[in-house]
Amino acid sequence: MGEPPDRRGFLKVATCCVGGGVALAAGVPVVGLLVDPAGKQTVSSGKDPFDLGALSRFAVGAPPTRVEIVAPVVKDAWTAATNVVLGAAFIQRTTPDTIVALSAVCPHLGCAVGFDAKAGNYLCPCHDSRFALDGAKTTGPSERGLDPLPVKVVGDRLELTWVRYKLGQTSREPA
Amino acid sequence: MSDREAGGPIAKLATALDERLGARVPSVIVGGASFAYTAGAILTFLLVFEALTGIALAAFYAPTGSDAWASVAYIEDQTTWGHFVRGAHHHGGGAIVIVAGLHLVQTALAGAYKRPRELVWWLGILLLMLVLAWAITGYILPWDQAGFWANQVEVGIAAGTPIVGDRIKELALGGNDYGNLTLTRFYALHVGLLPAVVTALTVLHIKLARRHGTTSIKSGPDAPRWPDQTLRDAIATAAVVALLITIVVSSGGAPLAGPADPATAYDARPLWYFRWLYELRELAGSAEQIAAMVAPAVVGGFFVSLPLLDRKPDRAIKARLLWLGAMAGFLALIAALTMMSFARDSSNTELAERQAKAEIHAARARYLAKTNGVPASGAIDVFTTVPMYTARTLWAKSCKGCHEDAPPGAPADQQRKGPRIGPGHGNRVWLAEFLKAPSGDAFWGRTKLGKDPDAAMPAYEATPEAVADMAELLYAESGAMDIDKAKQERGKAAFETACGDCHSLEEGVAGSGPGLAKLGSRDWYFHYISNPHAAVNLGDKSEMPRFDQDLTVVERDALAGYLVWLRTATAQDLAALGPL
Ligand code: FES
Repeated sequence: MGEPPDRRGFLKVATCCVGGGVALAAGVPVVGLLVDPAGKQTVSSGKDPFDLGALSRFAVGAPPTRVEIVAPVVKDAWTAATNVVLGAAFIQRTTPDTIVALSAVCPHLGCAVGFDAKAGNYLCPCHDSRFALDGAKTTGPSERGLDPLPVKVVGDRLELTWVRYKLGQTSREPA
Repeated sequence: MSDREAGGPIAKLATALDERLGARVPSVIVGGASFAYTAGAILTFLLVFEALTGIALAAFYAPTGSDAWASVAYIEDQTTWGHFVRGAHHHGGGAIVIVAGLHLVQTALAGAYKRPRELVWWLGILLLMLVLAWAITGYILPWDQAGFWANQVEVGIAAGTPIVGDRIKELALGGNDYGNLTLTRFYALHVGLLPAVVTALTVLHIKLARRHGTTSIKSGPDAPRWPDQTLRDAIATAAVVALLITIVVSSGGAPLAGPADPATAYDARPLWYFRWLYELRELAGSAEQIAAMVAPAVVGGFFVSLPLLDRKPDRAIKARLLWLGAMAGFLALIAALTMMSFARDSSNTELAERQAKAEIHAARARYLAKTNGVPASGAIDVFTTVPMYTARTLWAKSCKGCHEDAPPGAPADQQRKGPRIGPGHGNRVWLAEFLKAPSGDAFWGRTKLGKDPDAAMPAYEATPEAVADMAELLYAESGAMDIDKAKQERGKAAFETACGDCHSLEEGVAGSGPGLAKLGSRDWYFHYISNPHAAVNLGDKSEMPRFDQDLTVVERDALAGYLVWLRTATAQDLAALGPL
């Protein structure tokens, strides 16, 4: 009790410093590990275009054909899976040489869009966004139309490059 | 105290223990015990109940992308109490939200948020929000279509946060996309962090609430907590448990949709207590991102700031009509939006159709999981465990359009184009029918070949016995073991004159018609599917595409095996394979 007050002050600061050090020693590794996946490519499926099969599969003028995009190998953290369905795309061959591919990932929040054969347009079941045959948004909360995907005819086969875009915004930015 | 110190050995032991533990705080309910004060006990019980059922579930659950759904389906369908425990855990979470909500309203009505109880109030609101977050983290764990797609939307909303949205998303998903790390992360939150934080805050909440006592609504004589209040707590808790069990049983437990499938559309709906937000976003149209962020902030902000807005010490309801009215308004709005959301869905017949389909899909997945097990490659692959999966999927994709009759009323361009192929294809009866009328509708009738009398095969005009002999000869080529040798010999004798001009039974030899060696065997089908235009097959007379580039060897072989299987199969056998 007869201690000088600045000694007490020093003790308090010292306690806080030591305590803070202990907290850091425990906290930094834990938080560091927890945020580790941020910014990492934890799920990857290679960037090669996908072979969608013979071009003759897609009849000119037919309604959009839904194709599943199947990655030969997907690495997901510690596992590697073969033949994984990444998503789906709609292929439409409007003329013999024009092929439009639209991603079935809803640009709104990512639900899987279906083709509504009765209405002749695309419908997202999650929040009822509708898209015209060319992908343009007609109604609903989506900020933009369906995302076109790059396709290429190689010989007599059709190749598609699978891209996921950022959701819920007007501009098309790869995710 | 004095009456506790007196008494038998048990009371003495209790006193001695308390001297060391200091746990027994003499607690008095000012104004007397009441059922109105039971919410805390019910909530504490429910939290413990969730912990216990959760631990039991955790003993079965595997938080990985390939196993999560399978382990939950296992809990549901292959354990004795799993279905009930999971249902109780699911609905118990809903019960916490309801009781906590009622507790909040009751506290507000009593004016118990006022000085000096602000901290109790704020802790309560924080706890309610944490409980909601807890529910979200639990909903994705089964990795079924419902949880997977609902989570896409929830994370999508969070990702819309200005500036830090992308980071939030990466941290929530554990990387760039949904995967193993997403599940482990939500699992760690659900069973690690949130329970710890909620428990700590609950203890604090109760401690503070006890410190300030109840804002008594009764004016009778004070009563000891034990046993006057505790009995009421027990009765109220028992009532809630009874109700919970009734709901679990009558609702059929917790739902489990089909395995998460990023390629298949699903009508994702959030848990019912988020339905009001869902509806609000629906109504807000393109302003929904704002609605999704602002609405919870406004409602939450109102409740948080209530003690600051309404500062007068008067706790009479009349004196606080403005604030209570505002609260009632918010609650009515939430209730109305919730009902609108459900009403909107129930009036949507197309949605009902899609949901019915999704349910069949889920039931099928669970049936297969139970009978065949889920492949280690992932829950989606449970659908590949049906008999002859590869062949039948390929058949449906590549063959069916030309070789199976279209459903009645189908447009002209969807009608069968080639010979019909179905159960019994290539058996004795089929062969005999074919021989009698190769250009019949079921055979080459719809093809160019069948319509061209010069190129088409002429009918084998002979006695029924002779036709049967010839059919036996061809049937034997398939490798079938049940051959009538005498018939086969007679067929062979007739073959040269009747068929020899165009066909040969010698391997690799073709005439103007296809070679018939090993006709109907797996090998023969394999080569035919690979390239119908080969000289030994139909040459340029075939309109069928070749499949040796589009299908792998394994796939073509699977198809060939399927065609061989069809020969001895009946329509019932085919139906017994079940849908794909
Ligand atoms: S995710 Fe498609 S409309 Fe919302």
